[in-house]
Amino acid sequence: MGKRLNSRVLAVGLAAIVSGPSLAADELSKDLSSTIALLGLPCGKVVSSQRMKDNDYIAICSDKNRYRVFVNPEGRVVATKQ
Amino acid sequence: MIHRAEQQLGRLTRAAVYFALVLAAGCAGMDPAPQEPSKAEVTQGRAPASAPQPPEVKPEKPVAAKPVQVAPKPEAPIVAKPEAPAAKPAAKTAAAPTPKEPAPKKEVGTPPAHKPAAAPLDLAGLVKKLKETDAIGVFTKLTLKNQVDTLLEQFRGYYQGRVKTSLDQLRQPYDQLLMKVLSLLQDSDPPLAREIVQSREAIWSILSDPEKFDDL
Repeated sequence: MGKRLNSRVLAVGLAAIVSGPSLAADELSKDLSSTIALLGLPCGKVVSSQRMKDNDYIAICSDKNRYRVFVNPEGRVVATKQ
Repeated sequence: MIHRAEQQLGRLTRAAVYFALVLAAGCAGMDPAPQEPSKAEVTQGRAPASAPQPPEVKPEKPVAAKPVQVAPKPEAPIVAKPEAPAAKPAAKTAAAPTPKEPAPKKEVGTPPAHKPAAAPLDLAGLVKKLKETDAIGVFTKLTLKNQVDTLLEQFRGYYQGRVKTSLDQLRQPYDQLLMKVLSLLQDSDPPLAREIVQSREAIWSILSDPEKFDDL
């Protein structure tokens, strides 16, 4: 009984560890995709991203484009092709 | 011995099934997008190796230099761009179809009593609701805010006589911006999208009236 409980707890914990970050990463990808699209740049869908610093990401698009998406000192969101 | 192995195998199988179920449940709950702070954490986890990179990336940017300048452009263009000539007729048609809008409203809001209940949003209300919704991310919200500011600046310029344009021409970027907002919200926050559709003319009436615009 105790072992069963342990395995359940383990499974739940593992799932939380694995799925939590992937959910957040997915949300970030959606956000970056929308942002790049709003700025009128070709991208398709952001397939992966890399955080450079606060509010500063490198987004890799499904069409192989790479953009640096960041908030400039004036508070505007800017996407520059890499 | 074999019996013990079977037991262990059974336990492992059960654990795997639980894990898969929990994962599936986690994926099903993705839409609400509650965890903005954790985005940063997640990417932080990935990025430690890349943290030192930013300085390297910057110097490489003959290409990046373009877009940096381009970035302000797209925003202005998004509002007032090359699409403008082709879209003038579209804008007129978009403006004209205001009578068309009631038809979809009827389809969407099945009960007729629903209409009076939803008071149209004003611009401030719209901005507030957009800030509050979880349907779009932080970058997207900020980009939209930038574009709203750009549009408002165009109106300001028009009313102050700094920009030679007409209200008809300003209607086009207004419609485009609203379409962008709607496309972002229609799947993830349909009630807000509906509210915005219903408020379209109310917001336009504020923007197109110099006195009301001054009060913004």
